[in-house]
Amino acid sequence: MPDPVVTVNGVSLERWMRDEYAYDLKNQIFSILEGRHQKQTRKAVLSDIDLEIARGEKVGLIGANGAGKSTLLKTICGILYPTSGEVSVTGNIVPLLELGAGFDPELPVIENIILYGVLLGSSRKAMIEKVPAVLQFAELQNYGSVPVKVLSSGMAARLGFAIATDVRPDILILDEVLSIGDEHFKQKCRRRLDQFWHEHVTVIVVSHELEFIRQACDRAIWLENGRIAYDGPARETVGRYLATIERQAMEAIASLR
Amino acid sequence: MTGNPSASAGSRFYELVHILTLRNLKVRYRGSVLGIYWSLLNPIIMTAVYSVIFSATFQRYYQGSALRYALAVFIGLVAVNFFSAATTSALPALVSGGLLLNKIKLPPVIFPLSMIAAQSFQLIVGIVPALAIITVLISRTPYHVLLLLLPITALIILTTGVAFFVSSLYVFFRDIPYLYELVTFLLWLTVPIFYPVAIIPEQVRAFLWINPLYPVIESLRQIALERATPDFLLMGIAALEAIVVLALGWLVFAANRRKFMDFV
Repeated sequence: MPDPVVTVNGVSLERWMRDEYAYDLKNQIFSILEGRHQKQTRKAVLSDIDLEIARGEKVGLIGANGAGKSTLLKTICGILYPTSGEVSVTGNIVPLLELGAGFDPELPVIENIILYGVLLGSSRKAMIEKVPAVLQFAELQNYGSVPVKVLSSGMAARLGFAIATDVRPDILILDEVLSIGDEHFKQKCRRRLDQFWHEHVTVIVVSHELEFIRQACDRAIWLENGRIAYDGPARETVGRYLATIERQAMEAIASLR
Repeated sequence: MTGNPSASAGSRFYELVHILTLRNLKVRYRGSVLGIYWSLLNPIIMTAVYSVIFSATFQRYYQGSALRYALAVFIGLVAVNFFSAATTSALPALVSGGLLLNKIKLPPVIFPLSMIAAQSFQLIVGIVPALAIITVLISRTPYHVLLLLLPITALIILTTGVAFFVSSLYVFFRDIPYLYELVTFLLWLTVPIFYPVAIIPEQVRAFLWINPLYPVIESLRQIALERATPDFLLMGIAALEAIVVLALGWLVFAANRRKFMDFV
């Protein structure tokens, strides 16, 4: 593949199971003393993933809940470390995950713009200069000194989108965030994303809106139980995925009879 | 992974710790700079109470001076208060940063570190000037003010090490705060803060050195209250214990670094 910006090489990832974990030192000590201590187990979330993504490619990730889509995104972002295998990335990644996680509700909007921007990779100095542009895009010019907790959830989402997309990414990661605010702001977001779409920015998007994947992406990867079930042109991957779901549904109905 | 590809990993790390430290300070003081001086109020009141109750009994161990007793108590209190406040605020730092750690690639250590940095700023701006004034007035040896920085640095290093340790434990055991409260109370009680070392039985006195706060506080007292050249061996022990605690704290933190993500 010419010029890959993301290379995932034989990646497997196991995570510690925390749903059975007690988070309690007292209980752990007692259970060891009483000889009923259970060792923590790890569960494979990704198995043997190989993929390369070229510069400017728009890739959709599809699959059922729990198939490992978000885990794969986090591994590409460098948030999670693969148990085996390698991930290499060229260029800066900007994750547009659930917006607003970086906000401190007590601090004013301007402070939060600087904080969130630095967390996403800018310098403090650069963010101070960007404050007016971010406020303008989010249409919050009159709210600069108001604490974020006073903003409505729609306003906070607008702010998050404005900051995250102000950093110029080489690779943009989208995890189901395309419906923000009212119709007017949605259009504005779409225009900004379209701009990325045209400007050779590599985009990796997780979505359950298959129609969107089919239309907007060049390529789609279907994950099932932590493995790549199919990797190819978006139209084809979505088609196969839908066909399998339909067949499974039919079989389920048949088995009920 | 940085916004500006030319920015080195070092400057990125500095930017992150700096912005989080600013946030911690802003959240605490809400724009009032004088807030920092509130941190003096607690040790002043406590010193007054201890003086009223104990100074008649204990001042003979302090050259018969009630003032010297009060100042020794004050110095002990500010050091121990810094240690407990800073480690207690750093304890939940990894867990409360967990949401961010799951969204953006960030080095986990910036969360406890920025808590310690905010508390250290408060120590340096609020407490150290008070100690410097005491040093000039009582030791009457101006260069002792500079020497104060040695045990203060040891105190910050020591606190950072403990912060690494307790913040990583809290990821796995959420009942740690109750236990840690007991530990800080024991540390507080086993350093001679409001009582003189002389009243401790000889056989037990050697155990004082296990508490790494002891050489730090004794060193601060010598520098601030004595005219004589302070004991550099004592300062060396304080520094050594601090470095050992930092190394152990970091080992525990680093060994669990990748596991944090599955539990926060």
